[in-house]
Amino acid sequence: MNNLVFGKYIPIDSFMHRLDPRGKLIGLFLMIAAVFVTRSWWVFLGIAVLLAIALLLAKIGIKMIVQSFKPMIVMMIFLFVINSLTIRTGEVLFNIGTYPIYEDAIFNTLFVICRLLLMISITTLLTATTNPLDLTLGIEWILKPLELIRFPTHEVAMMVSIALRFIPTIIEETIRIMNAQKSRGVDFENGRISEKIAAILSLIVPLFSVAFERAYELADAMEARGYVPGAKRTRYRVLKFRFTDFMFIFICALTLALSIASRFVL
Amino acid sequence: MPIRFKALSYIYNKDMPYAHKALDDINLEIREGIVTAIIGETGSGKSTLVEHLNALLLPSEGSLEILDYNLIANQKQKFLKPLRKDVGLVFQFSEYQLFEETILKDVAFGPLNFGFPLEEALKRAAEALKMVDIPEELFSVSPLEISGGQKRRVAIAGIIACDPKIIVLDEPTAGLDPRGAKQIIDLFISLNRKLKKTIIIVSHDNEMVYNYCDETVVLSKGKIRYHGPTLELFADQEKLKEFNMLEPQIVTFRNLLIENGFKVSNEARTLDMLAKEIAGQIRK
Amino acid sequence: MSLIEVKNVSYAYNENKKVIDDVSFNIEQGTYVTIIGHNGSGKSTMAKLIVGLLPVKEGEITVDGITVNEENIGKIRTKMGIVFQNPDNQFIGSTVKDDIAFGLENKQVESKDMEAIVEEYAEKVGLTSFLEYEPQNLSGGQKQRVAIAGILAMRPDIIIFDEATSMLDPKGKKEIKKLMYDLSQDKDITIISITHDIEEVLQSDDCIVLNKGRLFMHEKPDKVFANAEKLREIDLDVPFIEKVREAFRKNKIKLKADDLEGMVKELCRSGSKH
Repeated sequence: MNNLVFGKYIPIDSFMHRLDPRGKLIGLFLMIAAVFVTRSWWVFLGIAVLLAIALLLAKIGIKMIVQSFKPMIVMMIFLFVINSLTIRTGEVLFNIGTYPIYEDAIFNTLFVICRLLLMISITTLLTATTNPLDLTLGIEWILKPLELIRFPTHEVAMMVSIALRFIPTIIEETIRIMNAQKSRGVDFENGRISEKIAAILSLIVPLFSVAFERAYELADAMEARGYVPGAKRTRYRVLKFRFTDFMFIFICALTLALSIASRFVL
Repeated sequence: MPIRFKALSYIYNKDMPYAHKALDDINLEIREGIVTAIIGETGSGKSTLVEHLNALLLPSEGSLEILDYNLIANQKQKFLKPLRKDVGLVFQFSEYQLFEETILKDVAFGPLNFGFPLEEALKRAAEALKMVDIPEELFSVSPLEISGGQKRRVAIAGIIACDPKIIVLDEPTAGLDPRGAKQIIDLFISLNRKLKKTIIIVSHDNEMVYNYCDETVVLSKGKIRYHGPTLELFADQEKLKEFNMLEPQIVTFRNLLIENGFKVSNEARTLDMLAKEIAGQIRK
Repeated sequence: MSLIEVKNVSYAYNENKKVIDDVSFNIEQGTYVTIIGHNGSGKSTMAKLIVGLLPVKEGEITVDGITVNEENIGKIRTKMGIVFQNPDNQFIGSTVKDDIAFGLENKQVESKDMEAIVEEYAEKVGLTSFLEYEPQNLSGGQKQRVAIAGILAMRPDIIIFDEATSMLDPKGKKEIKKLMYDLSQDKDITIISITHDIEEVLQSDDCIVLNKGRLFMHEKPDKVFANAEKLREIDLDVPFIEKVREAFRKNKIKLKADDLEGMVKELCRSGSKH
């Protein structure tokens, strides 16, 4: 579980880390839109260059980005196979056995894969440089207009931040229960289907009962410290836009504009 | 055959920048048939050490000989299941492992996994539950509906029912009230005395260690600082100071008695036995 | 008028089994009161009734003259804080400083004033250099100290500790007991602590003993332990010195001294008589 890179926060200090989470979220949306709108390899190249600069500013090695691609490999192969079977335009590049592979199949797939990889890189950059709590605050701010239709943004944000806070605790708990059941002869790796089901039950049931107990106690603790759902609260963490944040959003917006333009010009 | 740790080290997150050596070149022989305590501050490596005993963790370096098994670093292990049957490990807050519909079924879960036929597994479960003092009318109750102390005892029964040769307990009395704690201590003492089980117990309770454990291992920062008779450790003021341990009051009392000319045998490590010996001397 | 008055309170989770049975006691302003009793004696239920986490159905509890009920609960909550048993399940914020600030946010303290308050109370519990730490990098004792800081920051009159040390290692236990003692020196704060720890009872001003939901004793700690036999009957732990007395009584030797040295001298004397 420690090898999962996608979505992982890297707690260091850098230019990217210091940017306002709201600005970064807006930037993320703008950049992803830019990646989707364009049909030009040149725009991809431009975005890749910007991304490389951002990575340098974030002090995150390229290694982490490459690792974040790993879970996508299966999907990429799948895409290749499907596209090769269905796209039959352009020239025939080569044959696999007697089956012809067309030019467009290869290029379309490469294009889609590049699009995916850029999207993953952008998202990884955001989550790697933004403390989950700040990210929640940012999301809450962006969802604010929904309060007009009575959407409980604050409660949702509270739920998300508590969920994030408890992830490491629950992982620890899971490992402990797995170890306890292994000691009682459960084999989580091998065995017949019926044994597998019993093994999973022996993990899930205690995990749920612990999680519920924690939830009740946490609710008591929150209530005892004066939390009332829906009541007005002040905030300890206050977000502040600075000049650099506006610059950041401006660059992202410019990229989107160029990307839209590329559809008409190139 | 004793349990032998040979130059064993364990490294968490090996090959990662935040690797952490939790056990560092452990050489240790734990004798069969006695009660051994493992003590040390939180983070000293106690839990890592005991998780090797039934191969939940495998050595990063060195090896571990236990019963007829030999766990060697970087070698594939095939006999994990029989090893786990022979070495029962009771975790801290073990009540959280309960999950079956009834107490009896939950206790029979281990024996079934280790290949006992259903009938025999249930018979063993019932016997184990009797040993931990769970009355028969509770056998068909859900394990989630009983008190905390009872849950802990059911969890321990779940290990006893597998008939292990070695029983390892990681802070079995943590969070229990004095009565619940006493029941569990009495239980593992009788397992040792009556059934000759080898008992290894991780504990923070120095008085309990002094009362009941034959030998003691002191761990600190992944290294062994002391291994020997419990009595000798607690008699050595300098060692206690070095390990940052408080002298249990019973030791203070015992030393006072000896200073004042009373004769105290090595066996008298509990208050009851001390009182008996002293009373005998006074009446003479 | 006492700060907390518990009058003829009973409570049952299910109809027929009373967990608290007609209990009455008063707690005075500025005292440090421990509540002991074996598991299932009703200790934790009592704490939950006082802070209004459970509704008082029979009898009455008043805090500073205000009846604890649904209507007044907001007012009463501002007067007290509670530290629970499991250090992990009360750590709400993602870091130490966020957690200390949680109650302040609920109290609607101005954002700009919070930093100073958070720092003040972090210092009070000795966690100034841990402000940015996440819970998984703290020891149990440190997590409990964070909880205490979060409660102190809300400036309560009463702090209730619900077995707050029972899941900690000896070092953590010592840390928290010391902190509780230090807090008890501040006579503006009233402390109620539910505990199994004899040493802790000895450092308190008063001790309430519950047994099977009923009030068994309410005395100064030394008086409570003077009844060691009675406590042993209801399965409670007693100080070591009382255990020594008991062990020798079983062998028909009566010891009267109040410390170990005195007892050994008594033993010497009776030895030379024979």
